Amino acid sequence: MSYLDPRTKLVMVLTVSSLAVLITNLYLLILVQIIAVATVTAAGGSILDMLKKLKKFLLIFVVIVFVQSIFTKGGQPLWQVMNFTIISDLGLFRGLQMILRFFIIISSASIMTTSTPREIIQGLVQCKIPYEMAFMVTIAIRFLPILRDEANDILTAIQLRGINLRQIPLLKRLKTYSYLLMPMITSVLLKAQELSIAMELRAFRAYPQRTSLRVLKMQRLDYLVMAVCILVFLIIMVLALKIK
Amino acid sequence: MIPIEVKNLSFQYAKDARKILHNLELTVATGEIVAIVGLSGIGKSTLCYCLSGIIPHVYGGVMEGQVYLNGRDTRDLTLPQIATTLGIVFQNPDNQLFSFTVEDEVAFGPENLCLPPEEIEHRITDALKKVGMSEFRHANPQQLSGGQRQLIALASVLSLQPEILIFDEAMSQIDRDGRKLILDMMLKLKAEGRTIVMIEHDFANLAVADRVLVLKDGHLAPFAGKLS
Repeated sequence: MSYLDPRTKLVMVLTVSSLAVLITNLYLLILVQIIAVATVTAAGGSILDMLKKLKKFLLIFVVIVFVQSIFTKGGQPLWQVMNFTIISDLGLFRGLQMILRFFIIISSASIMTTSTPREIIQGLVQCKIPYEMAFMVTIAIRFLPILRDEANDILTAIQLRGINLRQIPLLKRLKTYSYLLMPMITSVLLKAQELSIAMELRAFRAYPQRTSLRVLKMQRLDYLVMAVCILVFLIIMVLALKIK
Repeated sequence: MIPIEVKNLSFQYAKDARKILHNLELTVATGEIVAIVGLSGIGKSTLCYCLSGIIPHVYGGVMEGQVYLNGRDTRDLTLPQIATTLGIVFQNPDNQLFSFTVEDEVAFGPENLCLPPEEIEHRITDALKKVGMSEFRHANPQQLSGGQRQLIALASVLSLQPEILIFDEAMSQIDRDGRKLILDMMLKLKAEGRTIVMIEHDFANLAVADRVLVLKDGHLAPFAGKLS
């Protein structure tokens, strides 16, 4: 399914993530999560990669459960400290709801990784999104790793001057991080200027439209998958309304 | 027609009290390689910007005199119009390459010119063949060496088929092998009848030039072996 049109994949992502936002029932959310994992696998995505992405958010998930428990009124307390409820059954339920939503949205986004950035941009352009905006997305994706490397270089340069960031107090550490700002902003502005000149001198925006070497064409399978997405969306929404 | 003709060119940046270029004259003939040397901050890149129309179209400031490309004043041309006449390769390939594959990078210019896909395909094949990078067509430019990236930057300019090429210290960030690739390429392009202006600070790269000029006090003069 990795050969599906990126626009079809976008519809798949939108369907699954919209369901995650609209549904409140925990069992239905679990069902949507199963659909999301199945869709990612069918689209050629890797479950292992998906889990690796989710692992990064583990701490946030734990915090969400606690925050939801503390601020959700009602429910039976499961863990109390001096009459103060740390975890309640309702809070835990809400926390799980939130976590599942995150899970679904993050895992459904993995579907898009089965297309190349160029295919995604071309898909956006063919969806009538102005190509200038589509290029903004490309350039952001392309330059983020470079900016991260640059930030690391500046941090290394700071540490080479004898400042051990791990050993200094938090406030001082934050102040040290502020020294990153100036060289980073200057570098970003210079890069942006050079890049815009290079693009203009390669006839960027010469005409209101531009042609493309590769043009995406929707196949019968794409239309079928889109129809299935709409059908699944409607069925789950009807189920959600009935359970309410 | 004369590819590059500069008449009485003066330029002053908006926030600068002095003129960085002062009544500068330059004529470059078809198929000629002209090298321009000079100390840092003397105005070499500014001259490049004037020749390529970046000044006055992008950078502000006071520009006097005329720059003609094939007989047409750069003031009367738009940047996309200039792009089909003149191509420029900058110092840092990282700030010129933004696509995820070499093919997309080289296709960018012809796509902007609204050429049909068959013609774009032809131009990509042709440009990559010229710079000897055909085998890297589907590679990610970020995974290539500095010299190879600069060749891709050149291929992406060549796909617009400009008659004039400017190399603005294009070899300053690449190793010896990369420099050799670029210099050989310049000679090939010269043999095709293209006009080349190279801005240089490394004298070792000047051997390919037909003429070497030094930029000093806003003027150009024949280079006599010393910068100061």
